[in-house]
Amino acid sequence: MSAVPSSGWLYGAIQRGRNRGLGGLYLVVAAFLVLYAVLFPGILSVSGFSKFTQNWFPLALVTMAQALLMLNGGITLAIGPLVSLGAVIAATTMGGALGVPGGILAVALAGLAIGAVTGAIVAHLRLPAIIVTLAGSFIITGVALILLPRPGGFIPDWLSTTLAGHTPVAFLLLVAILLAWKAFLATPLGIGIYAAGDNPIGAFRSGVPVERVKIVAFALSGLLAALAGLFVAAQTGSGDPVIGTPFTLNSIAAAVLGGVGFLGGKGTMRGAICGSLLLSVMINVMFFLGFPPVAQYVAQGLIIVGAVAVPELLKQWRARR
Amino acid sequence: MKAVKAVFRNPSLLTFLLVALVWLVASLTLRGFGAYGHLRYLLELAAVIGIVAAGQTLVILMGGIDLSVGAVITVTAILLPLISPAADPTGLVGIVLALALATGIGLLNGAGAAYLRVPPIIMTLAMATFLQGLLVIVAGGSAVTVSNPAVILLGQARPLGIPAGILLWIVVSIVVLLIIHRMPLGARFLALGANPLAARLSGVSVARNTLLLYALSGFFAGLAGILVLGMNRQGYVGIGDPYLLMSIAAVVLGGTSILGGRGTYAGTIPGAILLVTTTALITVVNASPGWRSIMFGSLILALLLISGREARR
Amino acid sequence: MTETRPLLEARQVFKGFFGNPVLKGVDIALHPGRVHALLGENGAGKSTLINLLSGALQPDSGTILVDGRPVGRFSPAAARAAGIAVVQQELSLTADLSIAENIGLGAFPRRFGLIDYAALQKGVGEVCAMVGLTEPLDMPVADLSLGRRQMVEIAKALFRKPRVLILDEPTSSLSAHEAGILARLIGTLRDRGTALLYISHRLNEVQALCAHVTVLKDGGVTADQSLAGIDGEGLVRLMVGRETGDLFPPRSVNVSGATRISVEKFSAGLMREIGFSARAGEIVGIGGLVGQGQEDLLLGLYGAIPARADHAEVSGLPRLPAHVGEANAAGIVYVPADRKHEGLVLPHSIAVNLILPSLGRLARRGFRDRAAEAGLIADLARRLTIKGDVARPVQALSGGNQQKVALAKWLPLDPSILLLNDPTRGVDIETKREIYLMLRAFATEGRLVILASSDTPELVHLCDRVVVLREGRVAARLSGAAISEEAIVGAAMGIHEQGEAA
Repeated sequence: MSAVPSSGWLYGAIQRGRNRGLGGLYLVVAAFLVLYAVLFPGILSVSGFSKFTQNWFPLALVTMAQALLMLNGGITLAIGPLVSLGAVIAATTMGGALGVPGGILAVALAGLAIGAVTGAIVAHLRLPAIIVTLAGSFIITGVALILLPRPGGFIPDWLSTTLAGHTPVAFLLLVAILLAWKAFLATPLGIGIYAAGDNPIGAFRSGVPVERVKIVAFALSGLLAALAGLFVAAQTGSGDPVIGTPFTLNSIAAAVLGGVGFLGGKGTMRGAICGSLLLSVMINVMFFLGFPPVAQYVAQGLIIVGAVAVPELLKQWRARR
Repeated sequence: MKAVKAVFRNPSLLTFLLVALVWLVASLTLRGFGAYGHLRYLLELAAVIGIVAAGQTLVILMGGIDLSVGAVITVTAILLPLISPAADPTGLVGIVLALALATGIGLLNGAGAAYLRVPPIIMTLAMATFLQGLLVIVAGGSAVTVSNPAVILLGQARPLGIPAGILLWIVVSIVVLLIIHRMPLGARFLALGANPLAARLSGVSVARNTLLLYALSGFFAGLAGILVLGMNRQGYVGIGDPYLLMSIAAVVLGGTSILGGRGTYAGTIPGAILLVTTTALITVVNASPGWRSIMFGSLILALLLISGREARR
Repeated sequence: MTETRPLLEARQVFKGFFGNPVLKGVDIALHPGRVHALLGENGAGKSTLINLLSGALQPDSGTILVDGRPVGRFSPAAARAAGIAVVQQELSLTADLSIAENIGLGAFPRRFGLIDYAALQKGVGEVCAMVGLTEPLDMPVADLSLGRRQMVEIAKALFRKPRVLILDEPTSSLSAHEAGILARLIGTLRDRGTALLYISHRLNEVQALCAHVTVLKDGGVTADQSLAGIDGEGLVRLMVGRETGDLFPPRSVNVSGATRISVEKFSAGLMREIGFSARAGEIVGIGGLVGQGQEDLLLGLYGAIPARADHAEVSGLPRLPAHVGEANAAGIVYVPADRKHEGLVLPHSIAVNLILPSLGRLARRGFRDRAAEAGLIADLARRLTIKGDVARPVQALSGGNQQKVALAKWLPLDPSILLLNDPTRGVDIETKREIYLMLRAFATEGRLVILASSDTPELVHLCDRVVVLREGRVAARLSGAAISEEAIVGAAMGIHEQGEAA
C-alpha cells in the first residue's frame, strides 16, 4: 500500500483496473475504425462523423440496456419491443398538446415504468428473467400495435434535424449518458448492480438491497431502450410498431462482443460500449461494401460465435503450453 | 388438503389438471370447442410444439437452451422438398437426409457449447441468425411446395381416425420419457443440469452428453419441421419462428426449471396442449392483433405464476 | 470476568424447519471483552443460532436481547445497526470488484449521494492494516487466493466497527501465518471491549483464544461454562459427551505394496515439474499452506485438468489419465474439498448421488436396473451408517453425512487409488473419526490413499508419508518418525527444507 496517496488515487486506480483484459478489444475497435476511415474518408468530416455516430447511437443505448441487466445476472428479450414502443409513443404524443417535451417525458416514463414492473416481477415473484421478458415482449408489442397499428405518426422536422442532422448532437448525447452512467456507478446502488450480479447472497448479507437493485436495473434498462426508440423515430421521421425487432439480438451480440458475461458481475460497461461500436462499424462496412442484408445475418452469426470462441481457444491454447 | 398440496408439489400433474379445467370450462361455454374434431385439431397442433419441446426439454434439463429450433424447423421445411430425390417414390430418402441435416446442425450447436465454450444461449442464437441468412441465399424468398409422398402422408393421414402427427408425438413422448426416467443418460443430464462440476468430477462426460443432447434437439426440431411441412404442404421463410417461444414456454409451463436439473417431459406434454388451447381461445375472442399479443403474453405470465413458481432463481 | 451486561443475548430461543426442531430452548449471552466459543457437532444447530443472532432468521419463540433490551422483529438491517457483524463460512465477496469496494459494500461512506472514495480509502486502509492485508486496495478480489479472500471478509466485518463480532470457522482456509494474525486481532478486539463469538472445529484454537464456551448438542445447550482449567481432552468430552478414545486409528505395520503412482516432471496448474510416487497400502499426506498446488496435483492425477509429465505410470496406465472417465475406469477416484459445489448434486436425492458414478455399470441393455440400484444404495447407506430416507435431497444432510455420501458413492467402483482433498474440512469430530477409520481400512485392504489436508494433526497422526508442497514444488518428503507438526509447518513456510526422498 502506498503511503498517504492523494484523494483521487483509489477511484482512479480502480477505474484504470477496469480496462484490464480489454486491450485486445480496444485494438480491434481502433483497427476497424482506421479501416473504415480509409475506406470511407467521409467519416472524417463533421457531417460524416455525425451520420456515423447516429447509426451507432441507438445500438449503443440498447447495448447499455442489455449489459446493465447482464451485469446484474439477468437478461432481457424485450429490448426490441421496447424500442418499437418508444418510437410509437414518440410519434403519437409529439403532435399532441404537450408537444415535444411531453413526448419525451411520456417515452421516458413508459420505459421506466415497464422496466420497473418487469423488474418487480422478476425480483419479488422469483420468476426467471428470460421467461418474464419473453412474455413481456408480447405484451409490449401488443401495446405498440394498438397505439399505432401501421407505421406513421408525427415527429416534428426540427427534432429530426437536431438529432439526426449534420451535427454531432447524437454523439454529445451519448457522452452525456456515459457520464451519467459513471456517476451512477459511483453510488452505492450502482456498485450494488455488480455485487448482486456476482454473489447475490453475499451482497444481501452485506446490506445491499438486492431486490431494489434489480428493479432499478430493469427500470434504467427500460428507460435506455425506450429512449433508443425515440431516437429511431426521430431518425426515420415516424413511428413503426416493429422497427425495434433486430435490436434484441444486436444488443446481446454487442454486449457479448464487449466481454460481458452471462452469469452476472462479469464484464464492464466500457467493454459493452466498445462491443456496440465494433458491431456498428462491421454492419456499416458490410452495408457499404454492398453485401445483401441476408449476408449480414450470416456474418453476424459467425462474428458472435467467434467473439466468444476465440478468447476461449486462446485460453485453452495457453493452458496447454 | 394433503392431496391438494401434493398436486401443487407436482407441476406436471398441476399443468395437466389446468388443461382439463380449461377444456371443461371452454367446452361448456363456447359452442364447437368441445367437438371431437376441434379437440383433435388442437392436439394435432400441440403435437408439433410437443415434438420441438421434446428436444428443448432435454436441453433445458441439462442447464442449456436451444434458441435455434425455430430456424431448424424452417430449414427442414424449406430444404426437404429441394433435397428429396425425384427418383425415390417413397420419399423416405428425403426425410432421412433432412433429419440428418437437422441433427448435424444440432451437433454443431453442441460442439460450439462443448468445445468452444460458447454459452448455449449465444451459440444457438448465432446459429439461428446464421441459418436465417443462409436460407434466403440458398432458397430465395419464395415458398416451396412439397411433393414428397411420405411427408404428405405424415401430415394428412389419419389411421383409425387419429392424425399421424399425434401418433408420432406419442412415439416421441414414450422415447423421451424412457430416456429421462429409465436410462442412465437421463440421470446424467439431470446431474449435469443441477451441478455440472460435481457431475464432471463424478465421471459424467460433459462434452459427450452436450453433443448428444443438442444433436437430439436438432433431430426433434427437424422431425417437427417435417410434420409442419406435411400439415401445411408448403415451406416458407419464417414458418418455424413461432415454435421457438412455444417450445420454451411449454417446457416452463410444465414445471421444468429453466435453470436445469429439475423437471420432466411429462410436464411438457400438458404444457404444449395448454399453449395451443390458450392460442385457440384468444383467436375465438375477436380482437385486433395488438390485443391478441397482449393477451397471449399476459396469459403466459399468469400461467407461469401458477406453475412456474417453483422455478426459483 | 466481572459481571457486565451482555451486548447480545438469546433467551430460550426455539427454531424449527418444516416441523423438525433445530433449536430447543437455547440460551447464550455475549459479553463485551470476552471471546465466547460455540462448539457442537455438525447439525447441532450452530448455524441456525448464528442466523438468529444476526437477524437472518426469526426465532419461533424466545427473545433476542440487544444491550439487555428485547428486540421485536430482528432483521439483518437491525442487527447491523446494533453493531453486530458476522464472518460467515461462505464468502460474501464480489470477484470483479476491488478489495476496497468489497470491504465497503453495504456501508459506503457517501458524499452528495456518491461513494466517497477518499474516505473509503482511509477507512479500508485502516482495517486492512489490522488484518495484515498488504495487497493494493484497487486489486480485484478475483486475483486473491482463498485464504486472502477470507482475510478480506474479516476486514469487511471490521470496517463496520462492530460491537459484536461473530466468526464462523474463520480459519478453515487460512494459512498458519494468517491464522496467527487473526489470533492477535481477536486479542486486540477483546481488549477494546468487543464481544466475540468464535465457532471452530479446531479445538487447539478454541483453547488458545476463548474464555468461555457454549456447547450445543441436538439443539440444546449441554455446557455453558468458563474455559479456565479445561484441557483438550476436557473440551472433547464436553462436545461429545463421553470419552472419545483416540481420534486416529493405529498405523498398519507393513506398507510395501506395488507402486501405484509414479510420475516424473509432473506439471499441472500450479504444480511445476515435481516427481512423485506412491505404493499400494499407503496413506500419503499432501501438506502445505493453502493454495500451493495440492488441489492441482490431485486433479492432474485424476485427469480433470490438463497435466503433463515426462514419465507417468498411474494405476496401471502407462500415462496420465486424459479425462475423468479414463481415471475412473482405471480405478482412480476423487473426493473434492468443496463437497457442496464439486462433490454432490445438492438438490438431488441421496440415492441419485450415491449411484451417479455407477449408473453405466448397473444398466442392462441400455436401461437402468432399478432393483440392482436399490440394492446397491441400501448396501452403501448401511455400510456408511447414513440414516433415514435415501429419497431426501442430499442438501438436507449435515456436513458430515454429506461428506460420507461424497465418499461412499465411489465404493462400488472398488477403487485402487483414492484422491481425497481435505475430506474432514468442516466435519464434526465423530464423523472425522469414522472417516479416519475408513481411510486406514482402505489402506489395509491394499488401496492407495492420497490425502491432501489443511489439518496438520491429521497429516501427522494418520499418514504413513507426507509430502509438503510450497509454490508448486516439493518442499519436503517426510516419513516415519520424521513426520511432526514442526517439520510440516516449517517446510510449508519455507523455513527449512528437508529434501530426503522417502
